[in-house]
Amino acid sequence: MIGRRGWIGLGTVAALIALWFLLTTVTGIVSGARFPSPAEFWLSLRQIWGRGYAGGQLMSHALHSLKLVAMGFAVAIATGIPLGLWMGWNRKAEAAINPVFLVIRPIPPLAWIPLAILWLGLGDSAKILVIWFSAFVPSVINTFAGVRNIDRPMIEAARMLGTPRWRMVREVIAPAASPLIFTGLRLSLQASWTTLVAAELVGALVGVGFVLNMAQQDLYPGMILVGMVTVGLLGWATTALLGMVERRALSWNMAARD
Amino acid sequence: MNSTPLTWRETMAWSLLGVVLFLGLWSGLTTSGLVPRQFLPPPQEVASRFIQLLTSPFAGATLPQHLGSSFMRYAYGVLLAAAIGVPLGLLMGWFRLLDDIVTPIFDGLRFIAPIAWVPFAALWFGTGIGGPVMIIFAGAFPPCLINAYRGARFVEPRLIEAARMLGTGHTRMILEILLPAAVPSIVAGLRVSAGLGWQSLVGAELIVAAAGVGFMMVQAQGSVQTATVMTGMVAIGIVGMIIDVLLRQGEAWLRRRRGLEA
Amino acid sequence: MGSILFQNVDKVFGPASSGVKALDNINLEIAEKEFVAIVGPSGCGKTTCLRMVAGFEAPSAGLISVSGKKVTEPGPDRAVVFQQFALFPWKTVRENIELGLRNKNLPAGERNTLVGSALKLMNLETHADAFPHQLSGGMQQRVAIARAYVLDPDVLLMDEPFGALDAQTRVVMQEELVRLARVNPRTVLFITHAVEEAVYLADRVAIMTRRPGRIKEILDVRSIRQAENWDRFQKIEDVMDLESFVHLRTHIWKSLREEKGSQSI
Repeated sequence: MIGRRGWIGLGTVAALIALWFLLTTVTGIVSGARFPSPAEFWLSLRQIWGRGYAGGQLMSHALHSLKLVAMGFAVAIATGIPLGLWMGWNRKAEAAINPVFLVIRPIPPLAWIPLAILWLGLGDSAKILVIWFSAFVPSVINTFAGVRNIDRPMIEAARMLGTPRWRMVREVIAPAASPLIFTGLRLSLQASWTTLVAAELVGALVGVGFVLNMAQQDLYPGMILVGMVTVGLLGWATTALLGMVERRALSWNMAARD
Repeated sequence: MNSTPLTWRETMAWSLLGVVLFLGLWSGLTTSGLVPRQFLPPPQEVASRFIQLLTSPFAGATLPQHLGSSFMRYAYGVLLAAAIGVPLGLLMGWFRLLDDIVTPIFDGLRFIAPIAWVPFAALWFGTGIGGPVMIIFAGAFPPCLINAYRGARFVEPRLIEAARMLGTGHTRMILEILLPAAVPSIVAGLRVSAGLGWQSLVGAELIVAAAGVGFMMVQAQGSVQTATVMTGMVAIGIVGMIIDVLLRQGEAWLRRRRGLEA
Repeated sequence: MGSILFQNVDKVFGPASSGVKALDNINLEIAEKEFVAIVGPSGCGKTTCLRMVAGFEAPSAGLISVSGKKVTEPGPDRAVVFQQFALFPWKTVRENIELGLRNKNLPAGERNTLVGSALKLMNLETHADAFPHQLSGGMQQRVAIARAYVLDPDVLLMDEPFGALDAQTRVVMQEELVRLARVNPRTVLFITHAVEEAVYLADRVAIMTRRPGRIKEILDVRSIRQAENWDRFQKIEDVMDLESFVHLRTHIWKSLREEKGSQSI
């Protein structure tokens, strides 16, 4: 079951952990003030898991962040995909919307944070707004590209068969564009997490980013690492979930994939 | 599908309409009093603030100066990411063992948003240049690596076979076959990398900087100077766009030269 | 130098128990400087035979040897001309042809001479510094052939080399290949599904069955070609008009038809 690749991977991970242990606990080359030792990491983890840190337990911080990401992501794709489809399909819409997009797009999502805080304060709604901004753009762009890249003959065949507009979108255009749409979704998810963590770092009262912020101010490397690992795990889990959805939706395309 | 492209005139007309509608909506929201002026200044105010900041300083420097220091950190970070990511990616694409070793590490770290490195960056570098560079590196590195890797790994098998048939050794294979074959992918990766790097820069500066555009924006936010915040956003957007356009041109030139585009 | 031997060769793709058997007990001996064409229905494994001689695949059973040595890896002694050309798009014509020589560590002077004569041989002199995408399909294939020829290989492996070309170019290339083969002969293994091409070019034609591929029949074309003096004609259409040619061609067609059997196109 574990192929050669798996064994080498495990070996590498084991080697790294050993190296970590060596550099911190055994030789002290890397001091505890800069990077936590495995023991310190463990202690921090136990603390935040049980007693809590920065106002709550790890679970509640993580779930809160997860909730915000989910909401922001959902709003982003619910608005982004239809817009991308419309722009892809309708050249006039594209021409009208493009300039605005061209201006908004290069503004890094994180750059919206100060404005969002100014408008909505330090609460959840500001975070969701920023997540929406950052996740929105990749969805639109990739959906648009997906529609534009559809083989002309396919559309022509569908028209020849007398396909009405709504069915065309649902059964021809959306599926044909779906590989790129999913690429957009993956980028949107990535953007969502990045933005959420950043927003929570800048100004928040709860969440993994807030934990990171507090840990930094308290000069608590062990907790910083716990925060980072948590961010990583949450990112991995949500991406894996999206991957599962993608595989189901694109099962017809799998043969064409790497 | 409306598959007939619009004429130049039609495109301009519709684009103009879009812009007018957008600006009109914006102005309308402000002047009607629906949104308080201090939260959403009208477009003219943002424009004039922008011009003002070109010469008069805010939070320690003028806008061009802030942009300059931001850009410098950015350049360091991206160049470092490319200098390490591209060669490593190519090597991983060719030597399976290296791939097997590095990929798990990379996969593990990949999900940690670059921004999450900020606390450590702050801890290790304070507000020095190392902090932002590190975060930009974290953001810009993955696309460089991944695209170089994919470019090398997924070269058309026939080309690899032809090269092997011709007796090509490892070094030459990497430098003369994989690298050129991977160039389109690498360049696309650099473009994404440059974009992500620029975004990470902003994030980094929002939190751990004493100069730069992000810093300027945080200061402005603190004193509710919305027009300045928006100026910062526009400036960042413009520079980001210029970087992207330049890289796109480069990419297109390359594709033309290779005959991948008419 | 340059003889090819297939001994009891099997090839299975996928796991041994449940995989697809592509080739079944192939036995074939190709003499030095002999031009052998393999024809057969699609999927019969003829390309796989070539790829195994080239060293891109290994037999599941049996032995493949060239010049008495077992084949393990690809190399310039068994030069390959691919159907899709496989030229390096970022290298000029000259650089494409030169790569194999550089790999042999030949000095620049010698390389230039060899590349020069290859360019001349294949009528590519004016295009020496062009990039592949600037050339037509026929010219690209010429470059591919030049690249192979310049190595002076013992064995030339051609995998449906004219399959991607249009009909007229194809004919021109066939005539050129005949010219090359008569002037500068070496062992050639030529895969094609075009029967006329095989009969025109080859000394012997091996007919394969459909999957799992076996050698059904081997026809000696050379003796007929020499007896009927086909080479007196320059143009391919004149040769193809000859009764002896038609007879051979029809024989092979019929044999292949049997292989199609219930298999739809």
